[in-house]
Amino acid sequence: MIGVYDFCGHYDWTFEWLRRQGSETLLRQYWDEAIRGDSQRHAAELIQEQGFAGMATYWGHTLEHEGAGYHTTATEDAFRIDMHDCPSKGFLIRNGLGAYHDYCDHCMGWIGPMLKQAGFSLDHEHNHCGRCWWEIRRSSDRTLPSQPGALAGPHDVRLRADWRVAEGGLDVYRHSNRADDKTRK
Amino acid sequence: MTDLPHTDSKKIGAGDFYFAINATFRFIEKQLGTDALCRYWQELGATYYSPVTAIWKHGGLPAVGRYWRAFFDAEPGAEVQVEVAGDRVSLDVRICPAIKHLRDHGREILPCFCQHCYYVSEAAAAPAGLTVRVEGGNSACRQTFLPRHSSLPPQDLARIKEVA
Repeated sequence: MIGVYDFCGHYDWTFEWLRRQGSETLLRQYWDEAIRGDSQRHAAELIQEQGFAGMATYWGHTLEHEGAGYHTTATEDAFRIDMHDCPSKGFLIRNGLGAYHDYCDHCMGWIGPMLKQAGFSLDHEHNHCGRCWWEIRRSSDRTLPSQPGALAGPHDVRLRADWRVAEGGLDVYRHSNRADDKTRK
Repeated sequence: MTDLPHTDSKKIGAGDFYFAINATFRFIEKQLGTDALCRYWQELGATYYSPVTAIWKHGGLPAVGRYWRAFFDAEPGAEVQVEVAGDRVSLDVRICPAIKHLRDHGREILPCFCQHCYYVSEAAAAPAGLTVRVEGGNSACRQTFLPRHSSLPPQDLARIKEVA
């Protein structure tokens, strides 16, 4: 049986399997159709109906359930997540797994299209070491991402000494909804 | 070497990941076909689960029994009796955690969902000199792990129930 205890391990393996069957395009289709449209459709429904409040409910439940080390900040115009200890990437790191070349892309792969459908866009950065941040705003809102500490105070993951683990290690998304929109810094 | 090759800081997995497992099977079947889905299960068993194969090869049937006890202890809602006796290990799956969680949340389950247990386990067991037979399904089944014998009839897939 395929279980959920080590889900992130075979999820990562599946990304690489799908890439080898077809292409990166097939994998992106998988994140959008299978994960956003099927597996996580409860998240899409909640956020479509409730907006920022739905985000707080969904990520509150999911990240608690997965045992994440995280902090969320909600304002009238933005919802921010600071992920200090990603349970998913952390599982791969601790167990020496990494079949697909950039596991972290999967979050943007399904969350990006889900939020687009609900009328939101993302600013996001991840450091490939289990730490990332997200700022979600309405798609019509062109506000730039906050400065470190401005929204989340001391909980801002960018204030950590280990945030910039290596030059070129950050994947950066600005006002985006697509996994391929990233730049490196 | 522990009873499970991959370990996590949490003791039990998050049940909502069964949604993704079910959705993954459905996506592969729809996009690539049934044969590709079976191949996905076999390759997953032979490669991702190769550390499990190593545990079974090294420790034999007692290690198979320890693995499955540890495995189901970490799956939310599982009710499974694992018995190591003589030349076999039997799993009496009284409540399949995956089927239960998917049903509890009103998810449409791929009819051939239960076949993955055979394909994945057989691919992991074969290099360890073992084989598996599965009977039942649709929330409860019996899985038997035993040494490979040429005289043993192959798995009859008709004995694995479709999920209704």
